[in-house]
Amino acid sequence: MIELQDLRLSYNHHRVLDGINFKAHFYEKIAILGESGEGKTTILKLLLCLARPDGGRIIIDGRDITFLRESELLDSRKKFSIVFQDGALFDSLDVKENVAFCMREFSTLSEDEIENRTREFLRRVGIEEAIHLMPDELSGGMQRRAAIARSLAACEPEMMLYDEPTSGLDPITADNICNLINELSAGTPPGRRGLIIVTHDVEAAVRVAERFLYLKDGKIVFDGSLDALTHAGDPGLRKFIKGLLPR
Amino acid sequence: MQNFYELSQRSFLGVFRRPFYVRDIIEQMDYAGAGSFFIVFLVSLFIGMALSLQISTELSSLGLKMYTGKIVGISIIREIGPVAIALSFAGRVGSGMASEIGSMVLGHQVDMLRVFGIDPIKKLVIPRVLSSTIMLPLLTIIGDAVSLFGGYYISVFVSHQSGSFYWSQIRAIMGFQNIFSGIAKPFIFGFVIACISCYMGLATRGGARGLRQATTTAVVLSTIMIIITDFLLTRILFFVLGMQA
Ligand SMILES: Nc1ncnc2c1ncn2[C@@H]1O[C@H](COP(=O)(O)OP(=O)(O)OP(=O)(O)O)[C@@H](O)[C@H]1O
Ligand SMILES: [Mg+2]
Repeated sequence: MIELQDLRLSYNHHRVLDGINFKAHFYEKIAILGESGEGKTTILKLLLCLARPDGGRIIIDGRDITFLRESELLDSRKKFSIVFQDGALFDSLDVKENVAFCMREFSTLSEDEIENRTREFLRRVGIEEAIHLMPDELSGGMQRRAAIARSLAACEPEMMLYDEPTSGLDPITADNICNLINELSAGTPPGRRGLIIVTHDVEAAVRVAERFLYLKDGKIVFDGSLDALTHAGDPGLRKFIKGLLPR
Repeated sequence: MQNFYELSQRSFLGVFRRPFYVRDIIEQMDYAGAGSFFIVFLVSLFIGMALSLQISTELSSLGLKMYTGKIVGISIIREIGPVAIALSFAGRVGSGMASEIGSMVLGHQVDMLRVFGIDPIKKLVIPRVLSSTIMLPLLTIIGDAVSLFGGYYISVFVSHQSGSFYWSQIRAIMGFQNIFSGIAKPFIFGFVIACISCYMGLATRGGARGLRQATTTAVVLSTIMIIITDFLLTRILFFVLGMQA
């Protein structure tokens, strides 16, 4: 269970988050929509304690992690894995070493075993042929896939966090990424792996998520299902989801 | 500033605590040490030659040019060698550390390490601090030797002095006091350069311009700190070793 209570955060006197409240289970599929600069990425960072709020509390499975020390965050971070907007691959390591990174850090698997598992993860995301390439030799779509593979290999997380997984990609590649995201979160509620996707690509959000949040002026002004979303009254939100509405 | 103090302290203590990233340490030693060999060689050679040229010219007008070796030796080993090599090291390795870590910060790679439960101080900072604390003294020993050879070349082939007398003077100054002050300095310099550069790298914000700022600040601060620390260390070493000014 994730609980955000009255989160507030300012950067240089500019209020980014102004009282964020929401609760979710790990198996939920949530999309956070909002304009650029509304603080969507910031929410993901707060969940992982990569940034700290000015006020409010972050509670993961009943434990208040808001101001825990780095070394005490291990347990709560293990439940998540994140795929950043730019992939955030380690750019001095090739794709294989990126995916194998956590196996090398935390396990004592043999070289063959690591190679096999790495190939298996890359096959799952469909870029096995890129195993020996460096991150800057990959296309944007391949970088995100490699990043997804690395996150899966790191831990089998209870919830995946995706930051703009489809932005800057052509419709076909974006579609493939959505399929991949759906595949990784397949199954029925209590058992499946949930996700939070942060995006301004409404089509992608609709394809992978079941619950939608809309962020405006540092607050969540909408929280509901797809059905409720298409009937929402907020004019800003209606503009945002124009593509979904019947003409 | 408080964070800088914390980073230095943690890198110092962390050297003795698990986990140890042996591969990263070796890679950093290769980069900082072997990679800096060429620049250290060149810088030291020409400093040794220039110094010897200056001093032998000045001394010969006083009729004392046979003391060239002694003066060159002492200045190189105690003062010029450690400082000049540390400055070249800061320019090459310090800037490299700051820009590499800085671009990892900007590309969210450092965040990714934290998400995976890996302490960036242990994984990124300690290998760099350790390698430069070990490699800078070694480079300084090599550089000093190269400088002394440069000085030898000038005093024998340009200033026409006796080569064996040059070496006998060098041998005479190779006492504990001189050697100790010549080696103690680069240890501290190496630690200071790596801590400043890693700190600046980790503090990088704001795109390519922020990266430029971080790299520049790392080198400028390291330079200033080398010069200031050098003075302080000289005072302290004189006191500890009981030398009189
Ligand atoms: N480290 C930081 N320092 C200062 N300001 C920041 C920092 N990170 C984010 N901000 C500010 O916080 C606001 C929200 O940033 P955030 O990255 O969360 O936006 P976003 O909703 O993800 O936007 P986008 O859709 O463009 O990715 C922005 O106005 C940004 O300028
Ligand atoms: Mg964002």
